[in-house]
Amino acid sequence: MWNSVEGFFSSNYVYWAANYFFFIYGAFLMIFYFTGVILANIAIKKNKLKSSFLQVSDIVSATDIPSVTLVAPAFNEGLTIIENVKSLLSIQYPYYEFILVNDGSTDDSLEKLIKEFDLEKKDATFIIQPITTATVKYIYKSRNKKYTHLTVIDKNNGGRADALNAGINFTTTELVICTDADCIIEQNALLKMVRPYLEEQEKEIIACGGGIGIANDSIIKNGILKELRLPENLVPLIQVVEYIRAFLLGRMAWGEINGLMLVSGAFGMYPRKRVIEVGGFDAKTVGEDLELCIRLRTHMENLKVPYKVVYLPETLCWTEGPPDHNILIKQRDRWARGLWETMSIHKKLFLNPKYRFMGILFYPYWLFFEFGAPIIEFLGLICIIAFSFLGWINWHSAILLFTLVYLIGCLFSTAAIFMYVKNFDHYNKPKQIVELLLAAYLEPFLYHPVLLYGQMKGYYKKLFGIKSGWGVMTRKGFKVSDT
Amino acid sequence: MSEEKFIFLIEVVAVLIVAVWISIASSLIYRKRRLKVLKYIEETFADIVSRYLYNDIQNPLTLIEIQRTLRKAGIKSHKKANIQYLINLMIRTQRTILGTNHKKLKMLYAQIPPYRVSISKITGFGWYRKAQGIREIYEMDQSQYRHNILRFRNHRNVYVRREAQIALVVFLGWESLRFLPYLKREISLWQQIKIVEKLYDLYPTPELPWLKKAYKTDKLFGKQLLMRGIRKYKLQAEVNFIIENLNHPNYEVRETAIYCIQTFVISDEWMVEVKEIFSILPDATQQMQLLKYIFNNSEIDLDFYLKHLYANNDDLKLKIAEILWNNGYKEKVQEFYYQQYAKINPYVE
Repeated sequence: MWNSVEGFFSSNYVYWAANYFFFIYGAFLMIFYFTGVILANIAIKKNKLKSSFLQVSDIVSATDIPSVTLVAPAFNEGLTIIENVKSLLSIQYPYYEFILVNDGSTDDSLEKLIKEFDLEKKDATFIIQPITTATVKYIYKSRNKKYTHLTVIDKNNGGRADALNAGINFTTTELVICTDADCIIEQNALLKMVRPYLEEQEKEIIACGGGIGIANDSIIKNGILKELRLPENLVPLIQVVEYIRAFLLGRMAWGEINGLMLVSGAFGMYPRKRVIEVGGFDAKTVGEDLELCIRLRTHMENLKVPYKVVYLPETLCWTEGPPDHNILIKQRDRWARGLWETMSIHKKLFLNPKYRFMGILFYPYWLFFEFGAPIIEFLGLICIIAFSFLGWINWHSAILLFTLVYLIGCLFSTAAIFMYVKNFDHYNKPKQIVELLLAAYLEPFLYHPVLLYGQMKGYYKKLFGIKSGWGVMTRKGFKVSDT
Repeated sequence: MSEEKFIFLIEVVAVLIVAVWISIASSLIYRKRRLKVLKYIEETFADIVSRYLYNDIQNPLTLIEIQRTLRKAGIKSHKKANIQYLINLMIRTQRTILGTNHKKLKMLYAQIPPYRVSISKITGFGWYRKAQGIREIYEMDQSQYRHNILRFRNHRNVYVRREAQIALVVFLGWESLRFLPYLKREISLWQQIKIVEKLYDLYPTPELPWLKKAYKTDKLFGKQLLMRGIRKYKLQAEVNFIIENLNHPNYEVRETAIYCIQTFVISDEWMVEVKEIFSILPDATQQMQLLKYIFNNSEIDLDFYLKHLYANNDDLKLKIAEILWNNGYKEKVQEFYYQQYAKINPYVE
């Protein structure tokens, strides 16, 4: 067909193949997104109606609800540990335990905790460890009656997943919530999180997640979010939009068809029994939250027990997003590696009818459109550069196409902001909304290329076996108000 | 694709974006105005209720005056959202008021603009309205409609049947156990909790004949519901029903039984039976939970603990070792561990 390589390239074949490939990929993505908006809208409406029949005040007054343990790992967080623990201790729930796992901190975190909460060392000889973890040195309980629900586990360093597993081992409650010590959790978050567990009767809830919001530059008082403000810097500001879009559109839409494969590590609730059955978080991957959720789903598929993974649209957990490009790159590099590892661990799911929709639709979606998106985007950039050198690009049409794709992206972001404003009261000032919209429209130029770089860096490391762990995530810390 | 088509599509998307902007702006404006209206309704309602409940003899508040004031505040038949808000306010208020005022408030509910609004909801379409109507009827104790509600107890929509079941409890009290343990569809954990809570709030004196009759149910949720009731009312004499279910073949029923037994201190005879059940429990986690109960509620029974120290489950052994170690039997634990080492052949063949 072609006499030489030169002949192959000079034919229109490459040009059209590339064009069709990117067009089909983009079209599928658009279809998924549009369907997502519709499904998310249905899910949010349903959630609103249903929640009127099970209000937080009803749950709080009940005496028979399942007990919950919140597990938070901490590593070298001495600067903010006391404030963070106080914040997590103040959560409202009638039967609540809090386990802080000191994952081999080398700073003075433990000493500070012992002093502040009057902790007493307990023997750890007889602790039961259904999940193997790094050695637990001591267990600490408070002598102060105010903090009887606090347990501190001091263990050797083993990473976040390992620390969570150590905490889960020690829990005795029906439900376990995994979070980070530096997250600010809404006071009534647990009451809202147990709602699906209480209500569901046909399927077993194996994981439940809540919305996560960015609270950089917000005001914190006594560990409670006193005033939610929009971040002053552009990078975290754009992340506010990104999180709204991801949680409100993405997660809610997938939740509506029981297709959620991820419950964020920052705030996820699981039944202890199931987590123990699957052996807890995988300490070998940096995408442990995604991996656990997929493993739980696979486990339930194998057991042939009907199950559900649910998401609540309300923002229940506030976290500090990366404040600048450098930290953002590190974070996305880690997420990309986690995704790579998880996709690789569970490759047997791919188009496997044994796992029903998870094998046929959900996993392939993640593979092509979550894992594959940065690669396709990167290839797209290479094609644009190569084709422009070869003079194959009609620049006028290309600019029009770019404008169209850009505007469609803006439409999705605007729709997400609208749904958030309509349903929640967090950002209700016109100035805030204008800022969010501007951030959304600047995202493709000032934020997305950095994101792509971070993701490709992660893939590069995996491809060439460059070892890399969690990396240091320097945080500025929330603004703490004394008044 | 031709450039004209591109431009057309760009225009379409741009128009859509502008439409969403307008929606955002309208949503903000609507919310602001709506909040004002709701605040006004709330203030008007608070004023009416306080004057109605504590009527001034010199200047009595008439029904016509109440209706007129409410109408002025926007409570009109075509403004359904306002009427709904007023109903929610009434429900909220009656929950906090007791005695004569509670009765007066319920009377007021039947006389002011949302007349028959709740009953008309349950005859309409849509699960949400039906469930909402049933809730309003039982919250406002409109018992004249209880027969209209009874038929919804097995409704295909979970929210409708859930509210109807609660209504049964509110109107019939303990007699509702004639129906509840025999329902056609499963009832969720929350529903069980809510039924028991409501029963306890409204009918604090137990009526055991209804309970005893209900023991015959073969529905799993029915057994769980009855155990939760026994626990809530602390019916020590009925604890045998819980013990019988400790080794039920169903995991969830056993789980509920283990949870409920924790509330009770039982006799030595019953404890012997619980220990026997413990030995045959098929699930190690549940054995662990029951072991905790046995330890907390009985004297150290060395034979029992030693028997299980040498059983198969490692977690259980560790827990028993801890109990023995901390309760004066260190030598038994040491003996056990030495025997474990003795089993390992130190010589490599």
